[in-house]
Amino acid sequence: MRVLGALLLLAGVALLIRSTALSVLAARGVIVDVLAFVTVVWALRWGESWGSTFGLVLGLAADLDAAHWLGRHALVLALVGYGVGRLSRALVRDNPLTQLLLLFVAAVAHQAWALTFELGGVAGWRFLLWHVVVSGLVTAPLGVLLLALVRLGSGKSLFSLAAVETTPRT
Amino acid sequence: MGGFLPPAERRSGVLLGLYAALALFLLLTGEHIPQAALRGAGAWLFAPFDRVVLVVDRLSAAWRENERLHERITRLELETARLRLAGVENARLRDSLRLPAYRTLSLRPVEVLALAGEPIPAAATLSAGAGQGVRLGDAVVTSEGLVGRVGEVYPGLARVVLLTDPNSAVACEVESTGVQGVLRFVTSPRPELLLTGVPMADTVRVGQLVLTSGLSLRYPRGLPVGRVARLARDVSGLTHEIEITPAAGLSRLRHAYVVPGPARPAVDGAGGTR
Repeated sequence: MRVLGALLLLAGVALLIRSTALSVLAARGVIVDVLAFVTVVWALRWGESWGSTFGLVLGLAADLDAAHWLGRHALVLALVGYGVGRLSRALVRDNPLTQLLLLFVAAVAHQAWALTFELGGVAGWRFLLWHVVVSGLVTAPLGVLLLALVRLGSGKSLFSLAAVETTPRT
Repeated sequence: MGGFLPPAERRSGVLLGLYAALALFLLLTGEHIPQAALRGAGAWLFAPFDRVVLVVDRLSAAWRENERLHERITRLELETARLRLAGVENARLRDSLRLPAYRTLSLRPVEVLALAGEPIPAAATLSAGAGQGVRLGDAVVTSEGLVGRVGEVYPGLARVVLLTDPNSAVACEVESTGVQGVLRFVTSPRPELLLTGVPMADTVRVGQLVLTSGLSLRYPRGLPVGRVARLARDVSGLTHEIEITPAAGLSRLRHAYVVPGPARPAVDGAGGTR
């Protein structure tokens, strides 16, 4: 039950930051993909079942906020959560390079999929490519930095006690 | 199917399959599902948190804005004095030509709580709703110009369809020449506001101001919309392709004004009618 509460809280905070502080940056072309970031962190911490569940819940909320194409964020974030959760068993989750790569790939995949809908296809591929790459390049280092700061502040890793769970437990 | 993976992994795979199927189902049928009530509930839930998060940002911005506004007020007071004289003269001339007088606009100040849409915002949540007299279809402006119109109204909140929503269309005219066109937001090949439907025979210049037209059924006449930024010939070769830079900074909306529309039969109301 605590995990479910944390899931809803983290999803709410991510959506709140996205629609307030980060929307100003996004409008200037710098998309910090907070949705991909929290999905990756959650999946690294709790594994693929919770990762995909978190991605779906967060994505559905983002889809409702966007008012168009219900399901587009939900699909890609559920897949990202599942993929990262599966990979997390074989990776050193506390390694900054691992985190950097996962965050970059997750942000690029999420933005490429979501922006393709926004642009109505791939006709505006230059714009899409630019924003997707910038989003990946901004989100990944910022995410790693934030995780490092959390680790430094709390004195322990977010992932050190992660159990390999494959089914949701409420 | 059974042999490859351990049961736990199979279960997570099945779970993902269900999630993917649900997301795809929503993608295909989502437009037919009424979402306004859900969005209204979400906006209501997030509104207090939006306000808290925005406090820090707004305080620093208010400091800078205060300085700028003091200087602007002084300039505007001087200009108002000049315009008051011109207004009296204009009213006299319109009267002598038997032209109807301009409708005076009343402005209802509101706070912008959140913007939705990446990378370019397409909608905004306002801090006032049906309870404060906001109605469906009301125009929303800033001191710079038009922002959009109210698309959904809830008891204490409202959602604005910005000019940058792909479904938005505004009848406009070019200041001084009266050239008419329809402002639309296109996303491909790159996101931009275009004034469409302007014949090649009409003369338009870069830098000219674009205002809402008297032909518009939704917006009062004469609201600044933007300036002509670029001119080109459209693919048909029959009309201009005119890029417009919006007058209002749509990405940094903090405060706005709702302009009540003309009196209409009561068709709107609370509850997220779209």
